[in-house]
Amino acid sequence: MDNQGKIKIQCGHLHKTFHAKNRKQDEVNEVIRDFNLQVRENEFVVLFGPGQCGKTTILNILAGLEEKNSGTVVVNDIEVTGPRQDRGMVYQTTALFPWLKVIDNVAFGPKMQGMKHSDWKKKAQYYIDLVGLTGFEKTYPVKLSGGMQQRVGIARAYCNDPEVIFMDEPFGHLDAQTRYLMEEEIEKICNGEKRTVVFVTNNIEEAIYLADRIVLLTNTPTHVDKEYVVDIPRPRDYTSPGFLALREEITARIDTTNL
Amino acid sequence: MFFPNPIEVLTYFVHTLTHKIGKYNLTMHTLFSLKRVAVGFGLSSLSGIILGVAMGYSKTINAIVRPLFNIIRPIPGLAWIPLAILWFGIGETTKYFIIFMGGFANIVLNSYDGTVKVNPVLEGAARLLGANDVQVFFHVILPSATTYIFAGLQVSLSTSWMAVLAAEMISSYEGAGWIINMGMQTGDTTLILVGMVAIAIVGFLLANIMRILERGLCSWTIRGR
Amino acid sequence: MEDKKIKVEVRNLTKSFGNLLVLDNVSFEVFDGEFLCIVGPTGCGKTTFLNSLTKLYDIDSGSITVDGEEINPRKHNLAYIFQEYSTMEWLKVQENIEYGLKIKKFSPEAIKQRTDIVIQMVGLDKYRNYYPSQLSASMLQRVVIARAFAIQPDLLLMDEPYGQLDLTLKYKLEDELIKMWERQRTTVLFITHNIEEAVYLSDRIIVLTNKPTKIKTEIINNLPRPRKVSDLEFVKLRNQVTDLIKWW
Repeated sequence: MDNQGKIKIQCGHLHKTFHAKNRKQDEVNEVIRDFNLQVRENEFVVLFGPGQCGKTTILNILAGLEEKNSGTVVVNDIEVTGPRQDRGMVYQTTALFPWLKVIDNVAFGPKMQGMKHSDWKKKAQYYIDLVGLTGFEKTYPVKLSGGMQQRVGIARAYCNDPEVIFMDEPFGHLDAQTRYLMEEEIEKICNGEKRTVVFVTNNIEEAIYLADRIVLLTNTPTHVDKEYVVDIPRPRDYTSPGFLALREEITARIDTTNL
Repeated sequence: MFFPNPIEVLTYFVHTLTHKIGKYNLTMHTLFSLKRVAVGFGLSSLSGIILGVAMGYSKTINAIVRPLFNIIRPIPGLAWIPLAILWFGIGETTKYFIIFMGGFANIVLNSYDGTVKVNPVLEGAARLLGANDVQVFFHVILPSATTYIFAGLQVSLSTSWMAVLAAEMISSYEGAGWIINMGMQTGDTTLILVGMVAIAIVGFLLANIMRILERGLCSWTIRGR
Repeated sequence: MEDKKIKVEVRNLTKSFGNLLVLDNVSFEVFDGEFLCIVGPTGCGKTTFLNSLTKLYDIDSGSITVDGEEINPRKHNLAYIFQEYSTMEWLKVQENIEYGLKIKKFSPEAIKQRTDIVIQMVGLDKYRNYYPSQLSASMLQRVVIARAFAIQPDLLLMDEPYGQLDLTLKYKLEDELIKMWERQRTTVLFITHNIEEAVYLSDRIIVLTNKPTKIKTEIINNLPRPRKVSDLEFVKLRNQVTDLIKWW
């Protein structure tokens, strides 16, 4: 927890309301109310909250994919007004381009920015190797399993050299065992290449396993309920006493506030 | 004879492949029809895709074109025949026009659908990876519309093939449609059936060529084992 | 375990697709009123296993008997709960629950009585006249559970029903399932990839191998209920099962 680290994300008093036009009346749905978050360079922050809370909306606003009603969002010293390549995103359902082979998906960012063929090829290959997909460069996404597709998504985000990476429940659709594997992998990747990561999940084990800091969110209208600094040494063991104690503490907190 | 026996038809069919009916042999007649389809369908594909994608991409274009298009759309291609003859006479242009109208609406609609239904998540992903508007268009919107466009092309090709026959039956001196018409006028049922067989074979081949083309261009949609 | 009555007996179950052997001579039994969990590694042919068990697939060889008779969906009461919330959208909650009973040709009085019992058990009394689309995910899942329990099945088959749910909700529904089961002592066969879930729910765990699927071992789970995932004994058992399965 180096408190000296440079601030990468500064988000203050964020508000977001959705207006759904109904036949009879205008439905107003307040999703985010006064959400505040500060993330330092190379920190791995997990936003953890109940199912229907506005976690994805928060990430989309931070990434510039959705507009906010009010509040300030500054990422990497730049006020967020729209999507920018200094922010990367790994999606819930794999948002891979199905018409592109693995290598072209991974190299999409560099290619768009006009990188030379030999350069992007080398770079993409490096990240494909890093996520353990060597040999699948020429495969189309549909032919990959869910876990492998998520690996491509991770490689694609990293290959674009973003300053900040957002991950929106990337393992939500995987089975419990594949999930453990992917959690180990992402930890390895993050260790190898330090990045600032904001990771969204509703899985408590995943949150504790990965996070430097867990930000517990409330139900909608979402704001921060409590923060937990996780200082269990890595690699973490899901069944170590410290791990289980923290898990129990957070679970108890959710039970008292949400149920 | 009300209905000739199949062997007779087949023999005649093989015979006419190399022997003239009217000015040309059957192969040439069929090629004439195919050429007309190629021109008419080619034009309707090209302009239909461009218009459909433009309508999907720009709300303004859609707002302008849509009302006009909605009026034209329900009119079958064949209903244009009388107008086409008045406008363009009975030359090739008329036939191209009828074929064009036969396939146009479907291609426009499908191209429009494909463009509108692009997954916004993919678009966002591309922008986050640094793609600009033009790049989003060519690298996300167009490819994801391909499957839809192909569905439209497939249907339109078969309606175009129907339209060419109708056009030829009305006014021409060559083509598969002309053969059928000739058979009717001379009371030669065998000739009519020979024409029909040729049409069936070509229709079947065209549909399959499209399928193979789609498999090549949209290979990413095929699930693995 | 000798004094336990055998409810379901599976003998030498074998199934292959073409040349690919998927189930290799699987034999086991489920005791009356038991909560049996089956866990295996990812890709162990879990679905094939289940579909062969319910005879959705023709099996190559082997036998499955319920109470000593060959399994027969018309005769035996089998109930399924899968991951999808298989409620019928056009029926109200109460009608959804009654549906299975009507098919089984229960008398109107019996239908009413049983429906009343289960609907209260899952706490949906106030929502009898709601349509599924008006309910939350957890309520839907409770409707499905109630419907399954209402027919008092000989065997309740569950295929990872909580796989995609929010964790808090999952724990809650697991507890509800256990409560229902303790009250009715239905025989439950629960298939999952989630080891912690298996340890939390089961009386006994059968561990499967990778394809071709065989039974690797079975573990008796007599941890006292209610269980706590952070208890030392719980963790020990969880780690034991994990070590048997771990491929990642």
